[in-house]
Amino acid sequence: MKLCEFVRPESLAQARASLRKLGPKGLPLAGGTALHFMPGKAPVTAVDLTGLKLSYIRQKGAFFEIGAATPLSDIQRYRGARWAMHEICRRISTHQIRNVSTIGGNVCRVFPWADLPVVLLAMNAKMVIYSGKMKEMGADEYFSSQPARLFRGGDLLAAVKIPVLKAHHGFGSVKAARNAAAFSMVTIAALLELKDGRIAAARVAAGSAIPFPKRLPSVEAALAGKEPSAEVFRAAAALAGNDAKWCKQEGMSADYIANLAEVSIVDALERAAQFASGRTK
Amino acid sequence: MKTHTCSVSFSINGEKKTFATRPDEKLLDLLRREGYKGTKYGCGQGTCGACTVIMDGRAVYACLLYAMQAEGRKVRTIESMGTYDKPAAIQVELVAAGAVQCGYCIPGIIMSATALMETEKDITDEVAKEYMDGNLCRCTGYEKIWVALRRTIDRAAAAPAQEASVKRGKK
Repeated sequence: MKLCEFVRPESLAQARASLRKLGPKGLPLAGGTALHFMPGKAPVTAVDLTGLKLSYIRQKGAFFEIGAATPLSDIQRYRGARWAMHEICRRISTHQIRNVSTIGGNVCRVFPWADLPVVLLAMNAKMVIYSGKMKEMGADEYFSSQPARLFRGGDLLAAVKIPVLKAHHGFGSVKAARNAAAFSMVTIAALLELKDGRIAAARVAAGSAIPFPKRLPSVEAALAGKEPSAEVFRAAAALAGNDAKWCKQEGMSADYIANLAEVSIVDALERAAQFASGRTK
Repeated sequence: MKTHTCSVSFSINGEKKTFATRPDEKLLDLLRREGYKGTKYGCGQGTCGACTVIMDGRAVYACLLYAMQAEGRKVRTIESMGTYDKPAAIQVELVAAGAVQCGYCIPGIIMSATALMETEKDITDEVAKEYMDGNLCRCTGYEKIWVALRRTIDRAAAAPAQEASVKRGKK
């Protein structure tokens, strides 16, 4: 990506106005760590979003609100009531990248290996989008296809709202990668809502081994009404192939990835059940 | 579209400076052009950590950041650490442990270790490894680097007065 100019708006309104004026020649820039992976020789003007006070995490009622320019390391370090976002942020890339890369950058343009969209889908997060005024969009709609589609007109992601998990909620996420800093081979996240010892509702999402992150409705349906147990989790995970066509990866067949995904689903569900029992790490 | 010349102002090792740059110039290139050559060019894609500097107290890859992103920030390079005559504690321990082989990764290792020691209290192995996970040693001398880091941390914890020595060079 070739930058030919650098502008620093002082407000979201100014940033949006700049991006609207620049059209395809404008590039919203936060951490900028992903630009290395974005081809394109056409020169663009960077619109720096880091001065807009969008780096924060605060609890507002039933949600944690995370500013779009909040670095992943801040999310990793934050501890709120029944906070669950840290475990996946710890697994994203390296310390230096986590210090710069932002939640907004991770979810405004989704790369195939992105972990956070998987977690936000399972969490049923809400995206706060600035389009002259603030509007909210649920994760299912937001991640129905490449979110970059929403920002072509200069609109901007302002924040991400994560529901505060209650005592009967369990959450778990699992990332399978070759080493600590490598891109994900499979990422799975699961949110369980328990009632009277049974799973009242489940949201399970997958990413990395499929072209775009998505929920796994067959797995979710197989969990509903059942008691959380290893057998139930394994039976549900075996249905993941109904929802996702697992892709082969370098040195790994599609069958191997399918197997890895199933094991990861079971692990994520077990971590979710442990979370409901009080696991905090 | 023409690439404009522009300027960027930031604190470098405690000294506020303004540099001429271009919007597409990386912070690493600016630093090395301006004489801060202790910061190394390694992979150029945010993987190896040879270019690690500290920006506003956090370790970052200078090869990924644009120079313009440093506007108004506090940047520290390896030149802010100890000297040959008065090395910082981590530098003393790295030498004592025989951890410096080709030495190319060491400036980045020192900057990440400094960010760790200045940010965290009661540093566990898990936290230390987390801070160091973005620095590769092509000579694979990790064990001795780890020994040196752990000794520095443990000595600083045992003798709070020694902390000043760990931070020597901080401006």
